[in-house]
Amino acid sequence: MTEFWVHPSLILILGALLLPLVPRGLRRAYLFLVPLLVFARVLLLEPGTFGQVQFLDWTLVFGRVDALSTVFLYIMGLMCIIGTLYALHLEDWGQHQAAWLYVAGSLGAILAGDFLTLFLFWELMALSSVFLIWFRRRPGSPAAGLRYLLVHLAGGVSLLAGIALHCRAAGWSFGAFDVAHPSLAAYLVLIGFLLNAAVPPLHAWLPDAYSEATPTGSVFLCAFTTKTAVYALCRGFAGMELLIPLGVVMALYGVVYAVLENDCRRLLAYHIISQVGYMVAGVGIGTQLAINGACAHAFAHILYKGLLFMGCGAVLHTTGQSKFTELGGLYKKMPWTFLFTLIGGLSISAFPLFSGFVSKSMIVQAGFEEHLLWAGFLLMLASVGTFLHTGLKVPYFIWFGKNNCKPETWERAAEPPWNMNAAMITASLLCVFIGCYTPFLYDQLPYPVEYHPYTAYHLSETLQLLLFTAVGFFLLIRKLEPAPTISLDLDWFYRQGGRLLQWLARRPVQWLDGGVGELYRVIALRSLMGAAHLAGRFDNRVIDGAVDGFAQGIRGLGGRLRLAQRGQLQENLTLALLALAGLALFLWWGAA
Amino acid sequence: MSGAFPILSALIFLPLLAAGMAALIGQVRLLRWWTLISTLAIAGLSLTLYRDFDPSRAGFQFAEQAAWIPFLNVNYTLGLDGISLLMVLLTTLIAPLCVLASWNYIAARVREFMVCLLVMEGAMVGVFCALDFVLFFAFWEAMLIPMALLIGVWGGPRRVYAALKFFIYTMAGSVLLLVAIIALYVQAGTFNIPDLMGRPYSASFQCWVFLAFFVSFAIKVPIFPFHTWLPAAHVEAPTAGSVILASVLLKMGAYGFLRFSLPITPHGTQVFTPYVLWLSVAAILYGGLTALAQTDLKKLVAYSSVGHMGFITLGIFALNAQGIEGAVFQMVNHGITTGALFLCVGMLYERLHTRELDLMAGLGKRMPVFATFLGVFCLSSLAFPGTNSFIGEFLVLSGAFSRSALLVLVAAPGVVAAAAYMLRLLQRVAYGGTHNPDHAAVADLNLREVLTLAPLLLLVLWIGLHPELVAGLLRPSVAHLVQQATQAAALAGR
Repeated sequence: MTEFWVHPSLILILGALLLPLVPRGLRRAYLFLVPLLVFARVLLLEPGTFGQVQFLDWTLVFGRVDALSTVFLYIMGLMCIIGTLYALHLEDWGQHQAAWLYVAGSLGAILAGDFLTLFLFWELMALSSVFLIWFRRRPGSPAAGLRYLLVHLAGGVSLLAGIALHCRAAGWSFGAFDVAHPSLAAYLVLIGFLLNAAVPPLHAWLPDAYSEATPTGSVFLCAFTTKTAVYALCRGFAGMELLIPLGVVMALYGVVYAVLENDCRRLLAYHIISQVGYMVAGVGIGTQLAINGACAHAFAHILYKGLLFMGCGAVLHTTGQSKFTELGGLYKKMPWTFLFTLIGGLSISAFPLFSGFVSKSMIVQAGFEEHLLWAGFLLMLASVGTFLHTGLKVPYFIWFGKNNCKPETWERAAEPPWNMNAAMITASLLCVFIGCYTPFLYDQLPYPVEYHPYTAYHLSETLQLLLFTAVGFFLLIRKLEPAPTISLDLDWFYRQGGRLLQWLARRPVQWLDGGVGELYRVIALRSLMGAAHLAGRFDNRVIDGAVDGFAQGIRGLGGRLRLAQRGQLQENLTLALLALAGLALFLWWGAA
Repeated sequence: MSGAFPILSALIFLPLLAAGMAALIGQVRLLRWWTLISTLAIAGLSLTLYRDFDPSRAGFQFAEQAAWIPFLNVNYTLGLDGISLLMVLLTTLIAPLCVLASWNYIAARVREFMVCLLVMEGAMVGVFCALDFVLFFAFWEAMLIPMALLIGVWGGPRRVYAALKFFIYTMAGSVLLLVAIIALYVQAGTFNIPDLMGRPYSASFQCWVFLAFFVSFAIKVPIFPFHTWLPAAHVEAPTAGSVILASVLLKMGAYGFLRFSLPITPHGTQVFTPYVLWLSVAAILYGGLTALAQTDLKKLVAYSSVGHMGFITLGIFALNAQGIEGAVFQMVNHGITTGALFLCVGMLYERLHTRELDLMAGLGKRMPVFATFLGVFCLSSLAFPGTNSFIGEFLVLSGAFSRSALLVLVAAPGVVAAAAYMLRLLQRVAYGGTHNPDHAAVADLNLREVLTLAPLLLLVLWIGLHPELVAGLLRPSVAHLVQQATQAAALAGR
């Protein structure tokens, strides 16, 4: 590699790290500029393999650019601009940093050419997005973020296990698995991907987390994790038959739960599950049309789901409420937000002239082409439910209908700040543009497109479904009134399981640990310190006593001997002569 | 002697010259700077030794020879091999750090202090370079008086007791060393150390000479039970004195074993090795236990030195390449780590005027930089992987294991005890207990103190992560030594 290949995520990471250093006056401009730079970089990417780094035994590939990754990179870059614009009013730069690191993770995962790099950015996504939940700073936020994080880290573990098993045998490069005969490693990796894509039964984290996140954070959250997982499924598991029923079940599951919801953002979150179900089914079908459909749907979905979350987020931002039972009749106060949310709702329902019309139907068409009739029909059924709750229920019960607002809510309600409106306008215009001018989207898709959405048959079929759904809505409107309910979903199991685990840790395990600690303290520690003090005393009294005692003894002896010299010459001479005599005797006796 | 620059003589006499110059300087500030600059210059000069040393040869390099007392066959012979090179480098590195540590600590009689320090440095380098026994003995004794003065004049409350104890104890050992030297001269007719190696002395002669050497070096190391002078000397000495004592003086005993006992009296070594090994293990355990019982910080580190030197003698008397390499490694590491710990204790004493552990609790909050340094040095002292001592201790234990698994099994609790007292020290000082005294007035390290500790921190981590830095110098010398200690033993017998 002769020159340094600039990874788009690098721009975002550096941008995030340098954000606190930017002076306050320039911050808005900086926030606007960095996503634009990233998008420009994405546009300038050449196809090929770049950014290869030697790390220990492995070659990490940071930049694998081809048609499949380019379409996802394009929309992720675009969404980053829109999301940052939407959040421009935030003074809390931590939230911007978290969002950008999150996008950096997503872009990095899409560009990853080998599994290790994929895993690195996968975890970056999880660890940075949890802050978007924690920054909401409500009493329930720490727990919500922790649930999200734990679920994602568990998924990461499964992914890593799969990677480790797979890569020892088959090498590290991230490509298609053998979908006809999937190994244990493939299933583990699949579980990791499916968890991020929020496929039931691994989906309960999504409504839980996305409704607890900040209004601006949800806009980011809804786009990146799930669609990066869809990309990963497209890359690794295209054509896996298991994914078709999973996708269809997902589509219906999300719709059913969405209809039951009272909180508008939870409704939208459940609906993400439904829409991603389409994409997962498309990946499962695996034909070129289906993969094209999955990519197109992801592209369009990011935009209109983002738009919907922006609309409901604006309502939450201004009124502080997101439940239908606390809202209603807000048309007088925030008409523009209504318009944008309506555009989003129409797009998601695949209304003609909007983006969903040209993307969702590709998957359904692919299903029919493969003679998967039940899949095709059930997916169409899901779009009925989609229009019902997102196209009709959300706009109606927030902006029209019975006014359930408390006085303080009504006081606060107003149009959101200019940047939120600007972001929503941009997204709305894009939704319409994509719907009307199809080559914009179709030219980005990985495979050549021979699909024509604006056929008489397609138009009539869609309009029939949608108009009769609208009729049904207004006829059954009494039954669809919002009620303050909580729907029990599969997360009940792990929430209760978490409580059980905590009880286990607090009672039995703690009791045992405490017991062992007491044992250690009484037996081991006391005897050790007892031995230590004994050794210290031994050293002081016995050894030192001997040494010092010896020295004292010699001193004492010297002291005694000193007394022998009292200064009197006669005594000294007498002693000397006696000593001499003694010596002579000794020598004479020795010689003899 | 070739026409090359007599660098070893320079390293010995330059400190003496600097001491002479220091004796003439009256102004205290100038004196301190002069001593610092001269010790730094000498350290720089010793780095050229490192550069010019050929690590592939086992013999003595940078040799110098001149006639000194011809009728007694005493020559002025100097030379370095891998082991002594490391010791010389350790000495010259520690000296400027001692000067920095004494900057404000020594307020009275600064001139005499600096002169003592410099004379000691010259003498210590001389001990490690000398290849003639009389020269060696001269330098050996020359070290004692400045050290006794350091303790006795600038020390703590019981300094006279400690200084006298140190002096008389070590001198008593030196007397036996002299007897051994003379016995060897009588037997072989030369004082030249390389010539005395590998000769076929009789078995009983070797045993007696070994015993004589042993007493002297055992007191110096110190090996249990000849160790009681060490706590007293360390506690009462000023910071610089403790550092020099721990870093260099203790190593001289171990160096003596390596340079003299093993190659000159290999059979004697073989006979007494089992006893020395068990004494080493006793030192490890005993040092660990007694350190656990201490509340005086300096005494704690002093007893930890007893334990660490136990590891060194364990490695030496394992009599295999791994053990001896580990022992020399530990000599360097202990010099760095324990020197650093004494420097840290000295910094605490300068601030708090106490060495009691309980009175220092919770200082980490006020002195985070200090706590970081202390933390790394404590971890090094307990031989945490990634630090320098881990490599040395691992090699020593592995060498000892090759000799006897029981030794390592019995010594293992000593490793645990080392962790216990070091971590307790770190926890108490850095993190505190439940009732911490008020340390509001205590200041964190200033630049001078950071500069004193930083090179040692760097070495701890560098040697720990790249041990080849030290190991590369050792291998041929250690291999040669092992050969001398084991093969030559077969020759003796008469």
